[in-house]
Amino acid sequence: MSSLDTSLDRLVPPTRVRAWFEFGGRHAWTLLGVGLLVGAVVPFVVGDGFYLSVAGEMLMFAVLALSWDIVGGQTGYPSFGQMAFFGIGGYVTAIMFRDFGVFWPGLVLAGVLSLVAAAVIGAVVLRLRGGYFAIATLGILLTLTEITRNISITNGVDGISFLSTLPATTFYYVFLGLLGVEAGLLYYLSQTRFGYTLNAIRDDEAKVNAMGVNTTYYKVTAWMLAALFTGMAGGAWSLFNFFIDPLTAYNTAWNVELIAMALLGGTGTIVGPILGGMGLHAIIRLFVETYFTGWQLGLLGLIIIVTIIVVPSGVVGWLEERASAMDYYEHGGGAAGEESGGETGGEPE
Amino acid sequence: MSPQLSTDGVTKRFGGVTAVDDVDIEVEQGEIVGLIGPNGAGKSTLFNCITGALTPNSGTVRLDGEELSELPEHAVAQQGLIRMFQHTRVYGEMTVRENALVSTAEDAGLAGSLTPPGDSTRERASELLEYVGLGGLTDVKAGRLSFGQQKLLEFAMALMREPDVLLMDEPAGGINPAKLNQLIEYIRDVNSERSVTVLLIEHNMEFVMEVADRIYVLAHGETIAEGSPTEIQNNERVLDAYLGRE
Repeated sequence: MSSLDTSLDRLVPPTRVRAWFEFGGRHAWTLLGVGLLVGAVVPFVVGDGFYLSVAGEMLMFAVLALSWDIVGGQTGYPSFGQMAFFGIGGYVTAIMFRDFGVFWPGLVLAGVLSLVAAAVIGAVVLRLRGGYFAIATLGILLTLTEITRNISITNGVDGISFLSTLPATTFYYVFLGLLGVEAGLLYYLSQTRFGYTLNAIRDDEAKVNAMGVNTTYYKVTAWMLAALFTGMAGGAWSLFNFFIDPLTAYNTAWNVELIAMALLGGTGTIVGPILGGMGLHAIIRLFVETYFTGWQLGLLGLIIIVTIIVVPSGVVGWLEERASAMDYYEHGGGAAGEESGGETGGEPE
Repeated sequence: MSPQLSTDGVTKRFGGVTAVDDVDIEVEQGEIVGLIGPNGAGKSTLFNCITGALTPNSGTVRLDGEELSELPEHAVAQQGLIRMFQHTRVYGEMTVRENALVSTAEDAGLAGSLTPPGDSTRERASELLEYVGLGGLTDVKAGRLSFGQQKLLEFAMALMREPDVLLMDEPAGGINPAKLNQLIEYIRDVNSERSVTVLLIEHNMEFVMEVADRIYVLAHGETIAEGSPTEIQNNERVLDAYLGRE
């Protein structure tokens, strides 16, 4: 334990980690811009083949993990039904493209319908907590799967397939744009009382209530925001993939994958789910699927177990903790208590 | 003058147990009122009925003459009645400053929360944190503070909300006895300087006798006595209740 700590201290000293975070905090918008610029250049480097689709999927999973984290990480309501909005969005664009031959209006409609669905579903399920919430959201996902299998506009279990849609590059840029807008929006909100309130709900919802805040509004708004981006990502995905059917649209395994991505990267942060989503998907597509075909779900389970045991707050969360580990003492924790008069006498730990 | 806060025949039952039984309490504006009683007397339950965390089976709660009993908890708080908890409750994973900022009463609605906190809110937060002696710890996560510091943070958060009435559930519990005088000063200061009416539950007799203008005594869910600290100290029924002679 102590030898591990010592070597970690040498490898990632708290002061250096804190310098990273301070740099990131000061230049967040610049970093986002640079990230988008690098992302925009990728298609010119990797061309229009396998690697472009992997890169597109990486961005898509970053959007999905980041969306899951708005409610699951920031607000403390881990949803197992995030993919419901992915499916809704996916079917909206697929039907619009099949019946009217248009994509962009379909993408907008995918976002709008996901928002509406989220408002209705959220107002009901967000009154539940913990295990009940998880089961209820999973129930919604399964219900939508069944409904979609049994109605004609979605072509039932056979799904909808296309021989050609739009160039893959278009979808790549849609995913990049979604990620850029979402990351920017969440970063902005993280500095507002809306963002603070979500975190406060995560830490102690009853207290937030007692302080005069109707938490339902905040939770439903966060849930709708997550649904908007998830729905639009799904909307781009169905045509990017040339095919959509109930089992892939409302993919329960993917829902677990998003949770793993957010957990691994660091829930409650913005960089965490993005890195987790891109990183884990890259590992699965480029490594696991090639060398350990069929083992991705087993590996995913292993990653979740190891993450929860070793770095429960995720990689970014763990770094954040290191950065602030010394704060209490450096700011003279004891001294403040001395002057204040409310000190219990004992220091924490 | 009608009282600022009053309960009229408030009764709360849990199954066969009547936790609060027909309790009438009146708190005038600007008062510091103590609520004492043996364990299980129904003090915290009464608090929960006043704040809307529980709905009383019968009776009404009024704030400035307006009935509160039908309002949900958050709406009661919006009326200017803020409570602090017996077991200190702060947002552990957020910094001390964020804890204060999120508690502001300014731009209270959802729409108003979509812009970063303004300069006046920030100044007020810094000022209040400084006031309770946490000025040096603003960037520390609240969960890392000691119990006493968390209590002070909760106090500052309540003041951020600019309450008219502050309900404190055992403010002296777990506080270093040597620091109690300071706490009394805070409460008096808030009461006189910020004109906050205070209703507090307390087990520490010395403390409550010192700080309260008037005291209600609850036992078995009923009010058994009411009066000034001196009157309460000499009341036979109160002594009986505390010594278990009743």
